[in-house]
Amino acid sequence: MTAQLTLQGVDKFYGPIGKGVHAVRDINMDIEKGEIIALLGSSGCGKTSTLRMVAGFEETSRGKILIAGREVQNLPPVRRNVAMAFEGYSLYPTVTVRENIAFALKAQRESDAQVDAKVNEVAEMLEITAILDKFPASISGGQQQRASLARALVRDADLYLLDEPMGQLEPQLRTLLRGRIKYYIKERGLTAILVTHDQTEANAMADRIAVMEGGVLQQFASPDEIKLAPANLFTGTFVGEPPMNVFSARAAEVSGDIQFRLDAGVELTYSADQFAPDLRAALLSRGEVVMGVRPYAVRRAKDKGGAAAQVVANQWLGDQTHIAAAFAGSTVVLVEHDRADIAMGDTISVELKPEDLHFFDPASGAAISHGTQMA
Amino acid sequence: MSLALNNIVKRFKTETVLNDVSLTVETGETLVLFGPSGAGKTVLLRLIAGVIEPDAGQILIHGKDMDGVEPEDRGIGMAFQNFALFPHMDASANIAAPLTARRMGQGAISDTVGKVAKMLKIDHVLHHKPKELSNGQKQRTALARALAGAPSILLLDDPLRNVDAKLRFEMRLELPRLLKDQQATVIYVTQDYKEAMALGDRIAVMSGHGIQQIGTPQDIYLNPANIDIARLFGDPVINLLDVTPEADGAGVVVSVSGQPLRLDAGYADAVGQDCVIGIRPESLRFVSKGTKGAIPVTIETEAPLNEKTVTLALTKNGREIMISRPAGEIAPSSGDAYVAADTSQVYLFDRKTGARVEHSSAENKKKGAA
Amino acid sequence: MESTSLIERILRGIAITVVILFFMFPIFWIFLMSLQTNETILRVPPSMVFEPSLQNYRALITGQLETQTGTLEIRFMGNLFNSFFLSTTSVAIGLLLGVPAAYAFARLKFRGSEDIAFTLLSFRFAPPLLVLLPLTIYFQQIGLANTYGGLIWVYQLIVLPLILWIVRGYFEDIPADVEYAYRIAGHDFWATFRKIALPLAGPGIAAAGLLAFIFAWNNFIFALVLASADKQPVTVGALAFITASGIQYGQIAAGIILSIAPTFALALYAQRYLVEGLSLGAVKG
Repeated sequence: MTAQLTLQGVDKFYGPIGKGVHAVRDINMDIEKGEIIALLGSSGCGKTSTLRMVAGFEETSRGKILIAGREVQNLPPVRRNVAMAFEGYSLYPTVTVRENIAFALKAQRESDAQVDAKVNEVAEMLEITAILDKFPASISGGQQQRASLARALVRDADLYLLDEPMGQLEPQLRTLLRGRIKYYIKERGLTAILVTHDQTEANAMADRIAVMEGGVLQQFASPDEIKLAPANLFTGTFVGEPPMNVFSARAAEVSGDIQFRLDAGVELTYSADQFAPDLRAALLSRGEVVMGVRPYAVRRAKDKGGAAAQVVANQWLGDQTHIAAAFAGSTVVLVEHDRADIAMGDTISVELKPEDLHFFDPASGAAISHGTQMA
Repeated sequence: MSLALNNIVKRFKTETVLNDVSLTVETGETLVLFGPSGAGKTVLLRLIAGVIEPDAGQILIHGKDMDGVEPEDRGIGMAFQNFALFPHMDASANIAAPLTARRMGQGAISDTVGKVAKMLKIDHVLHHKPKELSNGQKQRTALARALAGAPSILLLDDPLRNVDAKLRFEMRLELPRLLKDQQATVIYVTQDYKEAMALGDRIAVMSGHGIQQIGTPQDIYLNPANIDIARLFGDPVINLLDVTPEADGAGVVVSVSGQPLRLDAGYADAVGQDCVIGIRPESLRFVSKGTKGAIPVTIETEAPLNEKTVTLALTKNGREIMISRPAGEIAPSSGDAYVAADTSQVYLFDRKTGARVEHSSAENKKKGAA
Repeated sequence: MESTSLIERILRGIAITVVILFFMFPIFWIFLMSLQTNETILRVPPSMVFEPSLQNYRALITGQLETQTGTLEIRFMGNLFNSFFLSTTSVAIGLLLGVPAAYAFARLKFRGSEDIAFTLLSFRFAPPLLVLLPLTIYFQQIGLANTYGGLIWVYQLIVLPLILWIVRGYFEDIPADVEYAYRIAGHDFWATFRKIALPLAGPGIAAAGLLAFIFAWNNFIFALVLASADKQPVTVGALAFITASGIQYGQIAAGIILSIAPTFALALYAQRYLVEGLSLGAVKG
């Protein structure tokens, strides 16, 4: 079975090859039919350049792009059979929202009844039925963005490219629409690539997330895998809200136990058998490591077992509580699902279980271990 | 009481932006003005700052009428959404602006700037011009400038809007202590309900030219005054289904997905009226078939959302509902399933007016909230 | 891809060269003319080969114009001084009046402000010749004709609208919040104008001043009618080169070179500052 989209050694230079700005570096990816992929990264990470190369708006400096087995990197956008929703909406201003959405369908020579049915269906999903006969200038930014999404999704294409499709959406609609769009894409077996800087959106929508930074693909894996086994410190701290807690630590063997010395005199001691032997050896031979732990994995110890931390914030958000406490010279963040009866200035006891710890190399940032096993 | 607004009216040309708004803020309190864009939050802040004038009504700061008092004489500090840094001055000159106005000595100025900058962790970029600062540093510089003069009233106009999610989160955890140390009265504008709940001692919910509800985060989340406010707080948004409460022998029931859902007897007054029931996604949980009160649904899709998992499902009448649970909790992910609602946490709204249908036994409600 | 970009670069280079030649050639030719005598200038066909001489410049600087019929007194250096004095003073006064006015039009939206601003602009609509006749009569009656003061006043017709409209745009581009922030920090209206608005509109004020200077410098008709020989700027003074014995092309060319030199130098000097100012994108936050 061939992949629906394949990127082979794709590079993007702005300026002469080898000399210009190297915006995308040697990307290799296979995306199966029916998958939703998110390209996730902060601005300037190369995600939009990658998407634009796939769409054909940007020349592919090096490498191959295959859509449904066809080599397309030298074809103009119109011959690649991809549908795209743009960040800047880019609706045709002179025609109504309905005509905007129907535009490509009419070009495909479908009957009026068919076009109407498809437009109405997608409009209902995106809650724009009421504004179908308005002109783009007279609707809000969020509505324009939904119209732009509808125009892309309604088409018949090999690949659906969605560039920051939900940035402007009304917050109350966001979660619901994500669910509906995901269902729409999945039900029809479409293949979609979503570009976003919002890791919440990437997690909610995608089967697999491609995390990019500095033009380099950092990790390409399912949301669960990225959460449980981030490939490096960047991925670990970039994906996850609230972000992963990170401390620099020094590992040493103290009377048969493994002890991690953090800043501000915090010492965490674990019995040696809580880590796999090879991991134990790796940690002790390195000494200096970076320790990461996800906020939801940090617990408040009932007894005096944990390390002391002083609460600086306790924020109840209705369905979650975020607690921040001064710890090891910086701050540790905890997430709890119920309200916590603690106040600013209180001392709590923080417990970090060995199975929740991630270790990273302080120089390269590469993951050493996740939980008690080597990465 | 350090700030009072009495019957403020503000129009732009013919459009009324604020209609008869009254508000008092206690000394040392953080009051959050929360609402969708266009609700008049920023206008209200600017009226307090004195850069625009109300068409009617009175603004009192520490009991003194501010009519005709220039912005520079009101003793306030303000941070703007777009930072509004002085582009031709470096960060330290920006932060020093409230101090130079008081003709303090050079030494005292640089001491104060240094202290505020250190507190906000920007002491290493004090000699950078705004265009050389990252977004996060700009935002901290703007905040430092607002704090430097130790104003008794601090106006913060959505200061975290233009920084990325990670910085916003960091700042949200850092701000409460910062503001507490300042001992200033804070008015904080935001469009993000999480920010409002995290930072506000009280929240004033603004929409439709005025204040809809004012109370502690707990009041507003657990006792929203109307359907709009219930929709504004919570992610995913509250599930809303049209129902008509009926009386049966034991109390009040509504039909959800063809299944009777027993409500508290305190809702007896709503029987026979057109209502909307509001059930928060986190008040729904998956149960096994045959559990008492189990509501049948068909799962469409599920998606992770910040340490929660949100399931989108259809009721038997084809209405969408969302169910949220802590990440990691096992639940069905496709096909038919059953959910149960925590009935102490559901709300009834009048379908026509959107107003909350009051519950006649307030005691029970308190117990549910605790 | 390499090859296409090379062709593109070559084509672009050629296009730029053509444009530069087109615009620079007249100035270059005038420079050559200024180093020749009338005989070599009027050769047919024209040639770039000649023996350069500085006699045209010498004539202008000493004020002794040698023609075939004899020696003529010209006051070119006096004209140059007049141009300098009139333009500088006019622009200085224009800035002094125009910048605060521009700020008022940009920030204080008062009743009728748009109308007043437009009226000021409309001064530029009337052909100067139409304005001149009544102006001459008034000036003679009140004793302003043939005075520096009168000329500088009339020059405001050229300078003031220009400064007002350009600088106003720059003030409007400064986000109001930046000024509010300074007010709220405790500074009064005037301090805010001086410390925030003026420096941020600086590039715009410089650009407007430069343009106004060039317009004032190049003005011909007002000075022709309202000034006699001792108050005339170079533009009018150049008429002296059209003598009874013919047109002194060499001296005209030298006069042009001398008279464009100050504006040219000013523009070159200001260019760096202007570009810097325009890239002060941080104003937008």
